[in-house]
Amino acid sequence: MSAPTVDTVDTVDTVDTVAVAVFRQPKRVPRQLTAKMMVTTPIVLIVFSSIYFFWLANADLDSVEQRVLNWPSLASATLEHLQLVAISTAAVTLLAIPLGILLTRSWARKMAAVVQAVAVIGQLTPTFGLVILFAITLGIGFQYALIALIISAFLPVLTNTIAGIRGVDQSLIEAARGMGMRRGQILARIELPLAVPTMLAGLRTSIVWNVGTATIATFAGAGGLGSIIVVGLTQNRELITITGGLLATLLALLLDHIARVTDIALRPRGL
Amino acid sequence: MADSHITLENLTKHYPGQQQPAVDGLNLEIPRGEIVMLVGPSGCGKTTTLKMINRIIEPSSGRILIDGENVIEANPDEMRRRIGYVIQQIGLFPHMRIYDNVATVPRLLGWPAAKIKARVHELLDLVGLDPSVYSERYPNQLSGGQKQRVGVARALAADPPVMLMDEPFGAVDPISRERLQAEFQRLQREIRKTIVFVTHDVTEALTLGDRVVIFGERAQIAQYDIPARLLTHPANQFVADFLGSRAGLRALDLVSVDRSSLRHYPTVSHPSEITSRDQPTVLCTDGAPWGVVAPGSDDVINIAPITLTPDLKLADLVSALLVNGAPCAVLVDQAGRYIGGISIDAVQAQVKDLHTDALGAETGVNNVGSHS
Repeated sequence: MSAPTVDTVDTVDTVDTVAVAVFRQPKRVPRQLTAKMMVTTPIVLIVFSSIYFFWLANADLDSVEQRVLNWPSLASATLEHLQLVAISTAAVTLLAIPLGILLTRSWARKMAAVVQAVAVIGQLTPTFGLVILFAITLGIGFQYALIALIISAFLPVLTNTIAGIRGVDQSLIEAARGMGMRRGQILARIELPLAVPTMLAGLRTSIVWNVGTATIATFAGAGGLGSIIVVGLTQNRELITITGGLLATLLALLLDHIARVTDIALRPRGL
Repeated sequence: MADSHITLENLTKHYPGQQQPAVDGLNLEIPRGEIVMLVGPSGCGKTTTLKMINRIIEPSSGRILIDGENVIEANPDEMRRRIGYVIQQIGLFPHMRIYDNVATVPRLLGWPAAKIKARVHELLDLVGLDPSVYSERYPNQLSGGQKQRVGVARALAADPPVMLMDEPFGAVDPISRERLQAEFQRLQREIRKTIVFVTHDVTEALTLGDRVVIFGERAQIAQYDIPARLLTHPANQFVADFLGSRAGLRALDLVSVDRSSLRHYPTVSHPSEITSRDQPTVLCTDGAPWGVVAPGSDDVINIAPITLTPDLKLADLVSALLVNGAPCAVLVDQAGRYIGGISIDAVQAQVKDLHTDALGAETGVNNVGSHS
């Protein structure tokens, strides 16, 4: 067993000051899901989008607009966009959460600052720049867009995983050790369950972030709603640009809502 | 010592980067089935000492023997499951029901579910929480005092012979604290654990402890003794100062009323029947006392009789005497029948006896490091 952490003096973590901008405090979330909470946002979104698309369907469109603003084209772009977000979010979850857990182990504490600094760089580097960089050095394609998205959305999940575990009341850890729980048992039974709300908050940030940045994937030839927006911009058709942007916004709001509902459902009772 | 349960030998803790060790060569023997209180000024190393016993803090050098077995060579996790541990912050797991909190150690030990259930219910009963009401609750639905009771129940779950308690009542309000202390004393009479208990509260140390260690700096033992002897025979000026100038008053809180100092004053049912005016006369109706007439006086002083129990302290008598101004405190048995009176002189004599008794008492404790 490693030496107790009581001996170590907490060093000032310079990265934390940068990461504050990203770290999302779990908000006071109601204890239980209510039907009202679950359906309000979807209803508002459905009503709003129905009105818009009803209007769009009956609008007088020119040939360029007609080529883009039709159901098959919009649906496939949205689907591509969703695919990018889903895969990158899944990858971020699978990579950043285990890494965050590792970095909170006593033997890896010193590495945490370095890794977080790298993640901050990933976050702060414009994703557009990354995509262009990949396009020049590696080529274009779906996989390069994905890598860029993963890099840019990595930090919130990593930071919140670390913050969530470190934020567990140290007296609980001491009580658990004093009762004879092994390190792994403390992690599985105490630290992770209590860190879940903070980790989910990070994931939520990451998802919404990804919906936005996935619009850039079009420059890597990966399609998505970004391609619609770009057509609008290059062909000088504001309606197309607005429609693409609106779809991305609706998608972000919808996914955020789903994440929020999941957050409440997964939150341990008693908190 | 013949029946030493925990022995600390030359125990030292040196934190890196600090000039002085926090605990410096401590030797201490803790007898089986007793509560030993560690008390001292803040920063004296009492908490470090406690936390070295279950190796929450790893000692720099020295030996810790529990039942002759060196704790430092044992597997720390398995060793800790045999030691109850209660901390000031209690540390109940907020995401677990009270039931699961109490069941923590039995589950680690792999007890069958039925045995765990029986044990959890037994323990919740023991600490005065109805299992049918509290089992399913979460810690945030409990008051501070209730949480602390669950903390004690959780520490007792696997029936460990040794308990370590770090200021367990430090964070609860004064009224709950007194009640918890009284419950704790009652509990200890039943369970007879060997308990090492850290506190910064001298009164708590003297009230709860069978023995008290008073620490100076670097966990140097200034005195290790039974409470009565500490009060009457402080080993040095440091101990005397630490206990404060009101040792006599503290003794009143500590000493139980001795049945032998009871005197049977004459009783009458009406003041007109008083025959002797040399001593107090107790007024009774059907054997139940209600008043006292002082010697050489005709005035009847109304009193509320005090029930004699093993827990009755001298302080209770003195308090009654100060309030009603009677020449003696009137005591009754559980049925409310007069059994005798105790005058302030008798109280004083009992406190004086304490001094001589304590001198003669076989404390059986080595005063390592005392400057007497």
